[in-house]
Amino acid sequence: MVKKLTIALAGNANVGKSVIFNQLTGLHQHIGNWPGKTVEKAEGTLHFRGYEIDVIDLPGIYSLSTFSLEELISREYIALERPDLVINVVDASVLERNLFFTLQLIELGAPMVIALNQVDVAERKGIKVDHEKLSRLLGVPVVPTIAIRGLGIYRLLEVAVETIEKGEVRPRQILYGREVEERIEKLARLVAKVGFKYPARWTAIKLLEGDREVEEAIRKLDPTIISIKEKLAREIEEIHGHPCSTVITSERYEVANRIAEEVQQITPIAKPSLSERLDALTSHRLLGYPIMVVTLLAIFYSIFAFGDYVSTILSDFLYGFEPLFKSVLGEGLLEELIWGGIIEGLISGVTIALPYIVPFYFLLYVLEDSGYLSRIAFLMDVVMHKIGLHGKAFIPVMLAYGCNVPACLGCRIMETERERLLAGFVVTLIPCAATTVVILGLVGKFVGIEWALLLYIVDLAIVFALGRAAFKSLPGEPIGLLMEMHDYKLPHMKTVVNQTWFRLSEFIKIAFPFIVLSSLVIKSIELVGLLEPVSTLLSLVTVNWLGLRPEMGVSLVFGILRKELTLIMLATLLKTTDFGSVLTPVQMMVFALVTMLYIPCIATIAACVKEFGFKKAFFITVFEIAFAILAGGVAFRLLSLLNIP
Amino acid sequence: MEIPLSALKKGESGIITSILSASRRGRGGSWGFKKRLMDMGLTPGTEITVTKIAPFGGPIEICVRGSRLALGRGMAERILVRIKREWLRS
Ligand SMILES: Nc1nc2c(ncn2[C@@H]2O[C@H](COP(=O)(O)OP(=O)(O)O)[C@@H](O)[C@H]2O)c(=O)[nH]1
Ligand SMILES: [Mg+2]
Repeated sequence: MVKKLTIALAGNANVGKSVIFNQLTGLHQHIGNWPGKTVEKAEGTLHFRGYEIDVIDLPGIYSLSTFSLEELISREYIALERPDLVINVVDASVLERNLFFTLQLIELGAPMVIALNQVDVAERKGIKVDHEKLSRLLGVPVVPTIAIRGLGIYRLLEVAVETIEKGEVRPRQILYGREVEERIEKLARLVAKVGFKYPARWTAIKLLEGDREVEEAIRKLDPTIISIKEKLAREIEEIHGHPCSTVITSERYEVANRIAEEVQQITPIAKPSLSERLDALTSHRLLGYPIMVVTLLAIFYSIFAFGDYVSTILSDFLYGFEPLFKSVLGEGLLEELIWGGIIEGLISGVTIALPYIVPFYFLLYVLEDSGYLSRIAFLMDVVMHKIGLHGKAFIPVMLAYGCNVPACLGCRIMETERERLLAGFVVTLIPCAATTVVILGLVGKFVGIEWALLLYIVDLAIVFALGRAAFKSLPGEPIGLLMEMHDYKLPHMKTVVNQTWFRLSEFIKIAFPFIVLSSLVIKSIELVGLLEPVSTLLSLVTVNWLGLRPEMGVSLVFGILRKELTLIMLATLLKTTDFGSVLTPVQMMVFALVTMLYIPCIATIAACVKEFGFKKAFFITVFEIAFAILAGGVAFRLLSLLNIP
Repeated sequence: MEIPLSALKKGESGIITSILSASRRGRGGSWGFKKRLMDMGLTPGTEITVTKIAPFGGPIEICVRGSRLALGRGMAERILVRIKREWLRS
């Protein structure tokens, strides 16, 4: 029988965990969510020396305190699920900050091995780390690696397995100052008596640090411990003149600093490296902005060009099966339902997902792993502040111009629930690529490109105003930007491809069922002959309030499925593609505006439900429909006053 | 002399003396805020150098403990530093 082992990778963000994960596990991987949470968990297996080893990539963390969900999950996993080993991936080029995390892992009592990664980057910065000395100081095996080139990975695996086989790793606990240490011990003895799920010393330290999660749990077990803790914390505060949590964090960093100074040798490098020069240029206070705009435009343009080309080829190819299909099933109701409902739904999913989403994700990960996304967040922080978000929120906003679905999922990068929701709301108001097709194909072509541009500007103003209103009305404090700026690095292609693949499969899982289902429903409505009554009913709003033609209401309904369907349906219902001859410019403008605002498509709603829950997704949807109708009506009246050619 | 970190110019260094609480409203916000800065290594007594300042009141980038951090301007205003006195003519 094969013996099973579990190894978890843990460490700060951007140290190389994902690359090591991919180097270790090869093809047998899958990504899922932590039960009930929106945090991801990548799992893979490998076989080594008769073991079947399950490798888990824990989300990146700065420290193991309960600030964000990721941190909480990681420490719960390590302390409660007890993997056989934790591989702590450490970035040798920023040793001190990384050791701060390592020290907390040691406090958590995890059996561990350190992968001293990115030694090439460290060397380029003139930093040499004595890994043997580091290992001696910490009492933990240390293996130097350059993950991106696969160096040291095999050795890492060997050491990991040997360490597990030996059992009993005894990392050296760090000592705090005497007055702190005495109180930790006192508290730890009390905690040990009540039998808490985490190690007693660790719990005592966390209590003194003021960790909420731990405090609540202990309060339930024995509230007197909390009052004793408060007294002890006050004593420490009096001795040091700083809050107790500050004292503990400072002392831990001091230890990290001492160890780092002991083991590293720094020789200043005279010439700035390529990475540094790139950094200076791309986050330059003046040049940074034009460089960003050009880069983003180039990326969007190439995705559109590539997507359009591939999409046409794919859909020609897939529609080529239509005659064959019809000859098999014959013409009839069933055939209409299966082909027109299910298969056309699938085809549209495929012709959109593959050609646009794949390059989109791919480039996104290249940008992220290289480090450019954090420069963008740095530059855009000021703008995002106006709507109560910080610079990182620009990333989902940027994604939204491509597709709202990944943008919604991308809101996960925000730190708190409030920030995620706010970003999610803003993101669903942004016109995606499909909406752009409608705006350009209708307004851009038949009214004038300057009017299309005007629509974008109006939309941006609306997004801004609504974002600001939401920010003011949501309870809670906005959170400021706090982000590590990593050096520019060459992305690891296999990791990027893997991440793209994971994201694509996630997109398919969320979006496809809805695309196919709603395609089927709409086809059924059409076949049953309900289009007429629906259109009459809708005309109350579309004709009377928005000044549109009755057919346009029905095509808006189709737009729920996918936004570009509004245009396709419009052509079908009006029986012409020369919209200029049947619609007035005002009608086209109002129609485009409503399409921009009225509802995120069904796949986006599904993504919202997944991320924010049913109630919030429902609220966002209803609000946006109501708002779009309101805005459309106002626009109709305003535009009618103007004389559009 | 104690001044907010946001008052430092590019290239200037200082030593953190204290961090002001984030909000007057309730303890919760301030705990998270301070804790977050501490965990990133901005503890009292730490030396920091301003490496970049974004325009229009944007964030600043500092070098601390051998790595670089971007900080929103609002956060930088609440971090008080003592300017390092020059002791040799440059
Ligand atoms: N030069 C170099 N780059 C690396 C090394 N390990 C990882 N990287 C790069 O560092 C970045 C972050 O790696 P990733 O695995 O995504 O970090 P994670 O956040 O810990 O999962 C990527 O661009 C990698 O290509 C290394 O040993 N040397
Ligand atoms: Mg990763």
